[in-house]
Amino acid sequence: MLLALAVALFAIGLLGVIVRRNVLVMLMCMELMLNGVNLSLVTFAQQTGTTVGAVLVFLTFVVATAEIALAIPIVLLLVRRKHTLDLSTYNELNG
Amino acid sequence: MLDGLLLHLDTLLLFVFGVCALVGASLMIVLRQPMRVAMALISTMVFLGGIYGLLGVHFIAAFQVLIYVGAVMVFMVYVIMLLEVREGRGPRYSQWVWPGLIGAAALVGALVISIWAGLPQVGTAAKGAGFGIQSFAVSFLRDYWLHFELTSVLLVAAVVAAMAIIRVNRRADEKRRHG
Amino acid sequence: MLTLIVLLPLLGFALNGVLATRLGNTLWAPAGGTPADEHDHGHGHGPAVHLGHKLVALIGCGLPLLSFVLVLQMLGQLQTMGYAPIVETAYEWASVGDSRFEIAFYFDRLSAVMALIVTGVGSVIHVYSVGYMAHDRSFGRFFAYLNLFLFFMLLLVLGRSLLVLFVGWEGVGLASYLLIGFWFDDLANARAGKKAFVTNRIGDAGFLLGMFLLYQTLGTLDMDRINAAFAFTGSAAPAVGASLVGVLLFIGAMGKSAQIPLHVWLPDAMAGPTPVSALIHAATMVTAGVYLVARMSGIYMQAPEASMLIAWVGAGTAFFAASVALVQTDIKKVLAYSTLSQLGFMFIALGVGAYGVAIFHVVTHAFFKACLFLGAGSVIHALGGEQDVRKMGGLARRIPITFVTFAIATAAIAGLPPLAGFFSKDEILWFALASTRGGSVWLWGVATLTALMTAFYMFRLLWLTFIVPSHMEPKVEHHVHESPLSMTGVLMLLALLSSVGGFLHLPHFLQPLLPLPAVDPHLHHLEKPLIVLAVLVALAGLAAAVYVYGAPASRAQALQARFAGIHRWLSGKYFVDELYEAAIGRPLVWVSDRVFLRLGDRRLIDGALNGMAALGQRCAALLSRVQTGQLHLYAWLVLIGMIATVLWSWRHV
Repeated sequence: MLLALAVALFAIGLLGVIVRRNVLVMLMCMELMLNGVNLSLVTFAQQTGTTVGAVLVFLTFVVATAEIALAIPIVLLLVRRKHTLDLSTYNELNG
Repeated sequence: MLDGLLLHLDTLLLFVFGVCALVGASLMIVLRQPMRVAMALISTMVFLGGIYGLLGVHFIAAFQVLIYVGAVMVFMVYVIMLLEVREGRGPRYSQWVWPGLIGAAALVGALVISIWAGLPQVGTAAKGAGFGIQSFAVSFLRDYWLHFELTSVLLVAAVVAAMAIIRVNRRADEKRRHG
Repeated sequence: MLTLIVLLPLLGFALNGVLATRLGNTLWAPAGGTPADEHDHGHGHGPAVHLGHKLVALIGCGLPLLSFVLVLQMLGQLQTMGYAPIVETAYEWASVGDSRFEIAFYFDRLSAVMALIVTGVGSVIHVYSVGYMAHDRSFGRFFAYLNLFLFFMLLLVLGRSLLVLFVGWEGVGLASYLLIGFWFDDLANARAGKKAFVTNRIGDAGFLLGMFLLYQTLGTLDMDRINAAFAFTGSAAPAVGASLVGVLLFIGAMGKSAQIPLHVWLPDAMAGPTPVSALIHAATMVTAGVYLVARMSGIYMQAPEASMLIAWVGAGTAFFAASVALVQTDIKKVLAYSTLSQLGFMFIALGVGAYGVAIFHVVTHAFFKACLFLGAGSVIHALGGEQDVRKMGGLARRIPITFVTFAIATAAIAGLPPLAGFFSKDEILWFALASTRGGSVWLWGVATLTALMTAFYMFRLLWLTFIVPSHMEPKVEHHVHESPLSMTGVLMLLALLSSVGGFLHLPHFLQPLLPLPAVDPHLHHLEKPLIVLAVLVALAGLAAAVYVYGAPASRAQALQARFAGIHRWLSGKYFVDELYEAAIGRPLVWVSDRVFLRLGDRRLIDGALNGMAALGQRCAALLSRVQTGQLHLYAWLVLIGMIATVLWSWRHV
């Protein structure tokens, strides 16, 4: 059941990335995805009784923090160029 | 009766926290203003922290609230405040709503089927003993120190990347001012 | 020793080819000057032979002469050993399983005769070329090619196995191509060379098939062994039909010796320098086919059908060529058709089983035809390049030596006694009538009629070139001069040989090896009258020629007008070339162009390749439409990928 919750959180997060236009909302949905994964890891750790899952969760925290620390400035720089937070208008890398 | 309730309190709380987290997550993709979305996310994260605590991994629950909510989401809120001042109201959804919904449903279905088919059903267990911070620390720094080191390498890479962004940024600014 | 005889001309080729050609000319050219640039006849001479030329000529003529001397020596050796064949193995070429292929040389009476002709007449023509090609800028290359030709021809006549003969066969074809197209700046010459080579090749297909059959049934290609094998009859006879092999080998001979229908290359081959025409297309190369049939007499004696075919093809060629020669106006073309006709005679002799007589005619023909061709060369040299007989005349007093030698050779070819041609031609006519192996009165009739025509057109040529009043252009007439000694000396030698060569009695010499066929006893009494008849025929031809051409031109023109239709047909050479072009040439070109080039190469092959490339490009264009640049699409594709992975894991995990 907890795993189902984890799956649901992950799916909702991915859905948010696909569906929402705002850059910051998309970033937050990615955080939601990470949370879903963390939940599943913790669940597995508790079910099997090993500590691997917990260790991984710990490391995931670290990586997520670093990732956000870098993603936000990139978003800021992008927004400074295009003056909009609407990601569907960014399509220069096509073809 | 209260005994019976108390006996199943864990499960009940687990259930309630779970539902609330789900609700928070769903709100994220529905709400229009980013600040409200951030709030929904924070609430989801807190409920998740509660779930972790109920599962017995107390330190991870603590770190969840400390790092995720306390650092990451605060940062997000700052940025939203910074950027939203200039933003107007735009359309909320991209053009991929329906494909996304169908796909998400499919994904959930597929994964749930995987879970039901593959894994033994285990409920919650208060095995707090195995996840004490002491035993966690020992196993972390003895058995999984390689992962630890690799993560620190990753952090170094992140620092370098941040410096690179600053430099690029400064050069772009100068070019725009003098060019 | 035999190997040395063969290799000496090859050495000459190597030396002259490397050192005396344009590349090496600077090494040998003296301070005094370089050879004149253009091939000019008869204008202001400096020294006609430069220092560089002298060395080239020394090598080029000396080595063949040395070969000739060695052949004479070997003949002496052969004689002392009672004419038992001398076999010399030079090199083991290949050993495949049980069979061995060797390069071996075989010297018996027949090889001796042929080798003497090849080296003797060959050397003499080399000497003639020193004078004739003196002002040509490719002097060295000419002698290199001539020596190469001699090498291959010696391989041909001295080889023991059909394989060695074939190497020589192809080699002389190559040398012929190189020499016909010697002045390759003119495209017509190159085309003539190509035509010769290709036509030869068609004959070679038959030759190869014959060789394959022989090897398959007999396991050997040694000619002496093959002849011995075919001597058995009945159950011990070889498994392959003698006539089949005979016909196949004869097809090769048809190509090389220019019998119809593969004769078309010989008249065009006159595009080469005149010494080439004399050596290759009169004396030696074209007689290679005659040599082949004579050598393989063991097969042909058991093959009456093949022999009949040979005799009638020979007769047809002789008649056909003689008729065309009646109206030709180029001096060399007349001689070319005359060669064709005489080759036909040789094949008539071969077809009725008189192999020795055919070889005898080869020898006498070499003498007088070489003399005729070289004389024509002398005339052309004197006139500065003119070859049209209608623009000659009155040369008898101006270039007397050429005239006398030409006249002697003409009388020889017409068959006037006691010159050489009389003896050999008369024997051919006799055996054509009386041989029990295929002689018939029809064959004799065609041959005699051809002899009449031969006499007529040869004396016509003599009269028009030398005796009638001059039709030359004034500035040409002004420069007429006798040729240098290197040329006239050779002419005199050949005229002498044409006179006395008949007394060599070659058929008698070759009798132990090539027995003369039995003669029908009922006709035996006709032998002497036939000789008289033959002489009368020759004289009749002479008289007719004098009657038509010794008189004012109007008589000849009236004759031409009366038979205008036939004249047109003959001067067009029966339009055989046009027929070949229309029936074979054009359809082949059409197939090559339409089917193979446009359909096969461009549409199928290129189309397939380009099509694949285009397919790749179109697929790429199609697939690249996924990259819209929109992040939402990419995220959705990630979702789909995840679903697919999960579904995959159901199946495989």
